[in-house]
Amino acid sequence: MTKSLPDNLFPERIRNLICAISKAGFFDRSALIGSWLMPIYQELYGTRYVLRTMDIDFAVHIAHTKIAPRADLNQCITDLGFVDYFTADGMQRFTGGGYEVEFIGQRAGGRDKGFLSVPEWHLTAMPLPFINILIDYSTTTMLCDFSIRFPVPEAFFIHKLITAQKRLSDNKRMKDIEQCSVIAKIINDDRLQQIIHNQRFSKATKKYIALSCAAIEFPLHRIGM
Amino acid sequence: MKVAEKDNVVQGMLDDEYVRCLDVIKTLQAKMESYPKGALNIRRKKIKDKEYIYYYLVWREGQDVINRHVAADNLPELQKQIADRDKLRNEILAYKERLAYLKKLLNKSVPGKKHD
Repeated sequence: MTKSLPDNLFPERIRNLICAISKAGFFDRSALIGSWLMPIYQELYGTRYVLRTMDIDFAVHIAHTKIAPRADLNQCITDLGFVDYFTADGMQRFTGGGYEVEFIGQRAGGRDKGFLSVPEWHLTAMPLPFINILIDYSTTTMLCDFSIRFPVPEAFFIHKLITAQKRLSDNKRMKDIEQCSVIAKIINDDRLQQIIHNQRFSKATKKYIALSCAAIEFPLHRIGM
Repeated sequence: MKVAEKDNVVQGMLDDEYVRCLDVIKTLQAKMESYPKGALNIRRKKIKDKEYIYYYLVWREGQDVINRHVAADNLPELQKQIADRDKLRNEILAYKERLAYLKKLLNKSVPGKKHD
């Protein structure tokens, strides 16, 4: 486990949310992902990136679709004052004070899988590829005496290298590339190569990684590709 | 200095946030349609030294004010629905305020408001 985070690292609403789901055991195997990782990386690794979105994303570990319920996070999050709603395509989200909370799970197989049911937490999650990289290569730290799991920078970096090129929006692609260039400064090459070698990437995914590396002038040999 | 004009990434994030706020407001307003309108009204009536309490849901339809009696059994559910509806309304308000702020930054129009 890495060093503790200061209590005031996150806005109060986000801190309360993180602590509440941590208390339920969510971070035993699931993780915080997205742009709200950057304050953690800044605190623990010295990166500097101040832009933040209003989305709070969590990668949820889905062990088995028939696993016994462990906690009702739906109720837990709405008890904190968040409002739950469903988007036009059936994805569950929570909103509170302008923040939007979403749960994302590893997509097994091809596209058009709809939403993922997570009975362990009484939630539904959006299926996306490569989420397992963020969960499998993660570590924990402490926030207000609660444990919080997050992907190691190398896992976040690889994930962003891939997803940046899959973005439909130029705005989001630029943001991803910018985050990659910031994280590149603290990358441990051995850990990076270990993660890459444990993945089975398609030719298309390797091409995405190469394109993103070129965009931030990150040498491919450091990745081991 | 308008930061949004100087940095494409920031400009992009603000644009995305503007669209997100619009989407969320639309979704929350649609969700609000499924909640009851009006407020809970309590009437107390004293008959032969005994006080009776009656609950009514009160709402306006055009020029008319409608009162609908609520049975005691249905009261807790209705109170919860009204509380949830008010939570939704406050959330929509927060998003509309955010939208107005983004409008100033991006010099965009806000739906439902008069243009400058």
